[in-house]
Amino acid sequence: MSVKVHVHKTHRQYTNNEAAIEMEGKTVGECLQGVGKKYPEMRKLIFTSRGKLNPLFEIYVNAESAYPEELAKRVKDGDEIHLTLLLSGG
Amino acid sequence: MVMIPDRRRPGAVMLTQSEKERYDRQIMIPEIGEAGQERLKRSKVLIAGAGGLGSPIAVYLAAAGIGKIRLIDEDIVDISNLNRQILHWDEDVGRGKVDSAFDKLSKLNPTIHVEAMRETIGEDNVSRLVEGCDLIVDAMDNLPTRYLLNGVAVERRIPFFHGAVRGFEGRAMTVIPGETACLMCMYRGPVPKEKFPVIGVAPAVIGAIQVTEVIKYLVGAGDLLKNRILLYDGLDLTFTEFKVKRNPQCAHCGHLKGKE
Repeated sequence: MSVKVHVHKTHRQYTNNEAAIEMEGKTVGECLQGVGKKYPEMRKLIFTSRGKLNPLFEIYVNAESAYPEELAKRVKDGDEIHLTLLLSGG
Repeated sequence: MVMIPDRRRPGAVMLTQSEKERYDRQIMIPEIGEAGQERLKRSKVLIAGAGGLGSPIAVYLAAAGIGKIRLIDEDIVDISNLNRQILHWDEDVGRGKVDSAFDKLSKLNPTIHVEAMRETIGEDNVSRLVEGCDLIVDAMDNLPTRYLLNGVAVERRIPFFHGAVRGFEGRAMTVIPGETACLMCMYRGPVPKEKFPVIGVAPAVIGAIQVTEVIKYLVGAGDLLKNRILLYDGLDLTFTEFKVKRNPQCAHCGHLKGKE
């Protein structure tokens, strides 16, 4: 079972410039934990010290918002997770 | 601005001959026509912010003939604004942004009414600042004020046209209270304020999209960015659309009933 995790451009410096990472997992949280395990800098970015999702991130699964329980959202083979950034500038 | 009441249609205003000439190219668009142009003329739009997003938004709304524009910003023009805030020029450094904007917009289109308000939008005055406006365009540079404006838009059941930028990127979404997800529907807690990097063309693209949405909404044309957020990546030159949905527990709009 493989899920593709798309990494935001500004974070690819922490993923050896990989734009998308194939991960194993039954939930978004498991897949992102996998990303964090492979790339420790990403773990620090994605998760707060309490293991929650950093509020700077928005997560979409197959182009649909995974809010509100993003990390618990179940995923299946072939799904795509997009890690996008909340923008605040104007 | 000359308001000529149309006796055949109560509440409508007719266009002057000069306005028909000024807006000829957009009146030719079937989705706008004279009726749409009249609708733009009798609209009052609040632009919250006269910076990177506020500049193209104000320019294009003024050029399109929005009858009344209320522009709010607390800041003065700084030289570091000039890479993107195209309403402000080198000679304006040190002036109030709304004063600088008022001068340019009045020269661009003297037939409209521009109301420049140098105020900080806050909980204590937001209701007064929004009073009388048909809709709000988000041109802020921070999230807390965006949520504040989102809340007042929902409360008054007026649309909120969201836009935000960073670097070469941006996003846009249209909030129709009671019908679509609002900004607060996806709220996940406060985020630290940052001095954000940005190239001027990013707010130009997003601001133009927001204005496109405003005009479409006012004349009743096309499909709005309802329940979908549009992400723009200038480096790859891609637009990506993600679906969002109303949150029944939303602190702002959860209580509203309406079509999904």
